[in-house]
Amino acid sequence: MSTHTGAREIVEPSGKDTEFVFFSGKGGVGKSTVSCATATWLADNNYETLLVTTDPAPNLSDIFQQEIGHEVTEIDDIDNLSAIEIDPDQAAEEYRQETIEPMRELLDDEQIKTVEEQLNSPCVDEIAAFDNFVDFMNSPEYDVVVFDTAPTGHTIRLMELPSDWNAELEKGGSTCIGPAASMEDKKAEYEQAIDTLQDDEQTTFAFVGKPEDSSLDEIERSASDLSELGINSQLLVVNGYLPDSVCDDPFFEGKRADEQAVIERAKTEFDADATATYPLQPGEIAGLDLLSDVGGVIYDGEEATVEIGSATDVDTDQSVDVETLADPESVAEQLTPGDDTRYLFFTGKGGVGKSTVAATSATKLAEAGYETLVVTTDPAAHLEDIFGEPVGHEPTSVSQANLDAARIDQEKALEEYREQVLDHVQEMYADKEDTELDVEAAIANVEEELESPCAEEMAALEKFVSYFQEDGYDIVVFDTAPTGHTLRLLELPSDWKGFMDLGSLTKGAAPAKGDQYDEVIETMQDPEQSSFAFVMYPEYTPMMEAYRAAEDLKDQVGIETAFVVANYLLPGEYGDNAFFANRRAQQEKYLDKIKDRFETPMMFAPLRRDEPVGLDELRAFGDEITGLSDLTEREQEVTIS
Amino acid sequence: MTELTLYEEAMCCSTGVCGPDPDDELVEVSAALDQLEEEYDVEVTRANMQHNIDQFLNTQRIYDMVQENGPSILPITVVDGDIVAKSEYLSYDELANELSDAQSPPQEA
Repeated sequence: MSTHTGAREIVEPSGKDTEFVFFSGKGGVGKSTVSCATATWLADNNYETLLVTTDPAPNLSDIFQQEIGHEVTEIDDIDNLSAIEIDPDQAAEEYRQETIEPMRELLDDEQIKTVEEQLNSPCVDEIAAFDNFVDFMNSPEYDVVVFDTAPTGHTIRLMELPSDWNAELEKGGSTCIGPAASMEDKKAEYEQAIDTLQDDEQTTFAFVGKPEDSSLDEIERSASDLSELGINSQLLVVNGYLPDSVCDDPFFEGKRADEQAVIERAKTEFDADATATYPLQPGEIAGLDLLSDVGGVIYDGEEATVEIGSATDVDTDQSVDVETLADPESVAEQLTPGDDTRYLFFTGKGGVGKSTVAATSATKLAEAGYETLVVTTDPAAHLEDIFGEPVGHEPTSVSQANLDAARIDQEKALEEYREQVLDHVQEMYADKEDTELDVEAAIANVEEELESPCAEEMAALEKFVSYFQEDGYDIVVFDTAPTGHTLRLLELPSDWKGFMDLGSLTKGAAPAKGDQYDEVIETMQDPEQSSFAFVMYPEYTPMMEAYRAAEDLKDQVGIETAFVVANYLLPGEYGDNAFFANRRAQQEKYLDKIKDRFETPMMFAPLRRDEPVGLDELRAFGDEITGLSDLTEREQEVTIS
Repeated sequence: MTELTLYEEAMCCSTGVCGPDPDDELVEVSAALDQLEEEYDVEVTRANMQHNIDQFLNTQRIYDMVQENGPSILPITVVDGDIVAKSEYLSYDELANELSDAQSPPQEA
């Protein structure tokens, strides 16, 4: 193999200026590992390197086996390498406090609280997150800065907008995009940062993904978002494929073949300058030896070392009995309705299989006799693939009796929302007596205003809320959009409610809307009516991400998690060797940790040879899932027709 | 050139099109100001407490008024140094009148 890989050409600094490497990808794909390995490899090649993590649950200290924290810290055992962990929540809070501080002089505590609540917006969080990047994009003392997260297309668009909206800035007005004025000071800095991001000599955007079609789809979407902003994705690292030597039965041989096909697809289809792969290890990747193995494979084209025989990593006494953790009856109780409609929310990061779990649950519940609607807000619209039938923007019946499905089409929702707002504004002007007012120009103004990312959020929320008013269902199952986004959608109504209660701020807010959101929030908070389930696979990062999201949901909206779905559990009947024994023991270790953290009933779903497609396969899959396999038939009401 | 300054409460979005429902008053005043800027020789400045707190702290008169009455005294409309309205937004017609007055020389009856 060549010692000069494409990945190396891309990542290795070539000029005098500091270069930047951003790793983008979902939690649990090994982004931290690849970032750490990249930073280590660069440092080993004598580049002065800084590693910046903005992971809310960083595991740098596990990986380097050294405490790091919020200050730039030199890594003991590696020359030229420093690292820093930034807590994004803390950064957002600091940003908020900086904004509020000067107001304290003028406002009392009550008023300050109102402003604080207003600043609790997703836009402010994104600005604060972008600040984290900007802070380190002027680091001349380093040859290269490696970030283990990357700004999304959405964030960059958000930061770009102020320059398009110069008129708004000059007037000193503010937009829902964020505090325009406070951004003005930083405008030059932001513009510079965006220029740097767009300069592919100086900046590398790299994606890390799993060898799964859904992972690759997701990456392609993010990459095309970025490319619209003039940012090229140069490197793709496919991490965690099954090593050939450990797949010795049809189940895992088949899995491996699927993965290799995805890797092939990635190489041919994905428009990256280079693709690299790294195999699944029997345990978690920690310690410098494994890190340098990862770096060696990706950048120097070396063969990966997989120590499959080391079953000694696992303390068998500690492994837990999965059966005792499962509690089908408690899970079933959370799934089925009481007197009112039951709302089921399956939430979790993309790629954890929540669409499949949601569709399977909906199918089994419908089969048991409950009138069921399953709704997806996922822009990727997996539901159509899963049911193998078309699913529309409005509830559409699928072949299973009692079952309807719907997909929130973002564009349509936005259009509906726009029309609604414009109608309202038109009506408002119809009542005005001002003689000289140019109504058309005023409406055009609003129309332009509706082109903002915030309007998209608003629109999705409107649609989401509308499903709470669908009559005639015993159960409504939401296969929600990826956690962070969903949380924001869910949080927003409660924020608005705050504004509305405080009255004076949102002048003229229609009370009807306020009540409607109130009702929705109350329904979501009521465990008799709503069940929130976090879907995850039993590994460190996914568990931590889900836990944080669950805590957010509890703290900010007052919603308790009803149960946890542990997906992709390795089946006991396949993978009879030390490698899978290790993997299984690791899963069990995390199942136990999940149980401890969440303290809720757990639903277990096994890893399948293929993802279920179509109603027959969904039913069969449901039979293998805790709580779904033995749902009692709904008592049929006697109807006289 | 006439200067029109609007001191407003803390809010995330002065255009009014942000939230479940558009804020009618804000939508109207934003459009009115845009139109007035085109029709009159006027420079419009909007200072909202959240984003332009400095303008509140540095303008003694406004500072005192908010200090004394709380934010309910807002919005305050100032045309060439004169406070022409407080606690409410003016309509397009009202604003246009103020600007006409400010721009034509005082006419003694």
